[in-house]
Amino acid sequence: MNAAAAPHPVLDPAHAPPFPVAALPVLRNPQLRKNVAHAIDVIQAKRARLVEEKTDWQALRSAAAAIRAHALENLGAYLELFEARCTAAGGQVHWASDAAEARQIVLDLLRQENAAEVIKIKSMTSAEIQLNPFLESAGIEVFETDLAEIILQLGEDEPSHIVVPALHVNRSQVREIFARRMGIENLSDNPQALTAAARNYLREKFLRIPTAIGGANFLIAETGSVAVVESEGNGRMCLTLPRTLITLAGIEKILPRYQDLEVMLQVLARSATGERMNPYTSLWTGVRAGDGPERFHVVLLDNGRSRILARKNERQTLRCIRCAACMNACPVYRQTGGHAYGSVYPGPIGAILTPQLMQMRHAQSLPYASSLCGACFEVCPVKINIPEVLIDLRAVVTDQERLRIKRLFDPMYLGLRVAALVFSRAWLFHAAQRMARIGLRPFTKKDGWIHALPSIGAEWTQTRDLRGLPKQTFHAWWASRGKGVARENR
Amino acid sequence: MRASLFITCYNDTLFPETGRAVVALLERLGVALDFHPQQTCCGQMHANTGFHPEAISLAQRFVRLYQDAEAIVIPSSSCVAMIREQYAGLFEELGDTGLRQACAALLPRVFELSEFLIDKLGVDDVGAYFPHRVTYHASCHGLRALALGDRPGRLLAKVRGLDLVPLANLDRCCGFGGTFAVKNGEVSSAMLAEKLRDVTATGAEYCTALDNSCLMHLGGALHRQFAGMKTIHLAEILASTETLRAEARS
Amino acid sequence: MTSTVSSREPILNRVRAATPDGAPSAADAQRSWSALPRDYIRRGSLSAPSRLELMMERLREYDAETSECRLEELPAAIGAQLTRSGRRTLVAPEGLPQEWLVPGFKWKIDHGSGNGSLDIGEIERADGVLTACFCGVADSGTVVLHHTAAEGRRVLTLLPDWHLCILRASQVVQTLPEYFSRSHESASAPALVTWISGPSATADIEMTRIKGVHGPRFLNVILVRDEDAAAT
Repeated sequence: MNAAAAPHPVLDPAHAPPFPVAALPVLRNPQLRKNVAHAIDVIQAKRARLVEEKTDWQALRSAAAAIRAHALENLGAYLELFEARCTAAGGQVHWASDAAEARQIVLDLLRQENAAEVIKIKSMTSAEIQLNPFLESAGIEVFETDLAEIILQLGEDEPSHIVVPALHVNRSQVREIFARRMGIENLSDNPQALTAAARNYLREKFLRIPTAIGGANFLIAETGSVAVVESEGNGRMCLTLPRTLITLAGIEKILPRYQDLEVMLQVLARSATGERMNPYTSLWTGVRAGDGPERFHVVLLDNGRSRILARKNERQTLRCIRCAACMNACPVYRQTGGHAYGSVYPGPIGAILTPQLMQMRHAQSLPYASSLCGACFEVCPVKINIPEVLIDLRAVVTDQERLRIKRLFDPMYLGLRVAALVFSRAWLFHAAQRMARIGLRPFTKKDGWIHALPSIGAEWTQTRDLRGLPKQTFHAWWASRGKGVARENR
Repeated sequence: MRASLFITCYNDTLFPETGRAVVALLERLGVALDFHPQQTCCGQMHANTGFHPEAISLAQRFVRLYQDAEAIVIPSSSCVAMIREQYAGLFEELGDTGLRQACAALLPRVFELSEFLIDKLGVDDVGAYFPHRVTYHASCHGLRALALGDRPGRLLAKVRGLDLVPLANLDRCCGFGGTFAVKNGEVSSAMLAEKLRDVTATGAEYCTALDNSCLMHLGGALHRQFAGMKTIHLAEILASTETLRAEARS
Repeated sequence: MTSTVSSREPILNRVRAATPDGAPSAADAQRSWSALPRDYIRRGSLSAPSRLELMMERLREYDAETSECRLEELPAAIGAQLTRSGRRTLVAPEGLPQEWLVPGFKWKIDHGSGNGSLDIGEIERADGVLTACFCGVADSGTVVLHHTAAEGRRVLTLLPDWHLCILRASQVVQTLPEYFSRSHESASAPALVTWISGPSATADIEMTRIKGVHGPRFLNVILVRDEDAAAT
């Protein structure tokens, strides 16, 4: 019931438990499931309505997919152009190969500013590199400014969604967190009152703290500009008021031209929050005297992205614009929420992105966290064929398994290997069918159904029965028909 | 019209009545049927679980067995989706251009049952009689990969005596997903529970679909819960006629 | 400061190795960029009156306040909105026409950079802000600021709780791509842009939309029926 009482989720893919295990606490927490289902039902309904009214939706999706694919195809050239234009406009561009290097660059920049405190715009990339705990251990106080991020930061919780990170927390839980951490007595659980509390809590910080860290929705190569898409205005505060701004962005965030935003902005808000347009989108280019920060840094992060880029089919993963439509549409996410994915990137996109960012060394259970229903691909505004990538990644995981001794004790692995052999010859298949019929007989009840199976079969029979095998297979029936019954129409 | 049946592994083993219904239905419509006794499996389970080399040899087997068929009818949309969506990639992985070409030539002749009836035979009224309340579950592969659209609905609308009850959240997966139901048994069960709420809320006597895999999942839970509702493949509804029912009664 | 050995070259090398078919420079990528499919709607099909009506309707859906007037009525319309809102102290960028700064209210003019720019505290304490804008996009009810002299520094339209924005009918386009065409005609790509679609909002708590978090809680738009619009 209480968010603070729930175990702190582990969102470090290197240490998170496998998905089926991590999903259990959520599946047994009806309040959490209710919160998640409610939130995504609302977004889904809004999105569906707005997509329906957009008569050129499929054309927009095709264009968005093509623009992103083109940007990735020519990423080297566009990154260099972005760097040149951003630098010419007074920005400073830094390059980070991995999370550790990015964290160190940010810390060094903050030290240069003598910053003891920093305000932050919500950034999934910063969560990916676990920036906050690192800065805090270095003695820098970090203030998240997005309402959802404040809820999580003060509640010592982790994001469960990339657009609505606190969607698993309900109003009474937010009230409890705010009352406790902001020291407000008699706080109501009315969202209006809770939002006002956050506004008051942050206003002073916006006006006082001269250093900000944020992410980027898009980097425009043509102009060296950066775009941030948001709703609350906390982004504008962080982009406008501080003396120094540090933007952390994955190298894949590139768009070739300013004009490309005419497509991306149309698909992003509709897909993300079910709005025709989000309240605020900000675009800036380097620094401008008298307007906004005096010093502007962009940290371009690789952290495994160039490796994904090199894989022809998996490259599409990097088209992602972080709209979260896939997780809102996902029937698995609907049941488990985000924490079960053990990554700041949950849902279908997380299931393909996280293991790849981990170089397939961790999070190998995630590609299996999908029934391959295809709802994610259907809604994706940049047409990432997530099921296709999931299947490719499963092949990578299976190839890893083939080399491990423990495969010999894995009934699923063995079963599929045996099945492959069985299906390779019809006579083997038919023999196996006969053996299965005999083997399952002791488990088959009088009503003709199987109620309980051992081993991995128990995963099935925990909630479902299985009809006992019929006496005659189809092919046996067909063969008998040839002998006895006259075949009509022949 | 001549067509070759592909009765996939689990239909052959677990749901022979579906295959028999397809035979009754198509022969009634004047289609001459072949059944290749060497057939086994399309390879979907292997491909979707990440066993690509195994899937490739099964895919190869399928193409070889069926390359001369005039038309191939498959009463399982997920197997059709496997053949249409994954074979080409698997053969590319294998680097076999000959197989890729043979596959490309074969694909236009592969039909899911409702596609075969409506697109190839051009019929939506197959003369069926099934006096029951029925709800239709759209399997994900039928809905998205094959984009079957209104084909199942058109077929059901022409069945005499049938009372079709719409199913809420039609586009939501039942949680089967092949090996997903076992690898992620708890999550799959939670998805199934939500789907069952919608299915039982229809008050139908039968839940039908074009995939026995979903029906095995739904039917297994309905049986566990003594829900009273039965599952039935659409082919069996379409095969059912007044004469057949009268014969069965007598 | 940061490590002396930059990761720039290693990253770019990895990216280039990963994309062997990529263009050597952005200029070389131009042709394939131009050939990208763009079959979406570029120009809207609404008549001028319907376009303006849609703009106003969309703004109201975001809970923005809206009103309309003819060009010569504008000062009076500004005065009326200010009076109605009960706001007395207002900030304004230096590039506004003098007649918009209607008498009877306390105007604090921001001269942009350097001398004459208002400090943050003054802007924060103001009751509201009055600005022009670059464009209005009817499809999404979006007001676009390029932060020119009549639109002000970004902070001007951020800290005050109330934003009164003057939108001329001739500035209203139907679709977002039309804004981009217009922006392209007027100059090279703008360096600073803010797209505003209604007052700041959040739905982070149980997806309940709450108006007014950190940006202005109130957006008020006066649509001016200027001559150009009548011609379209």
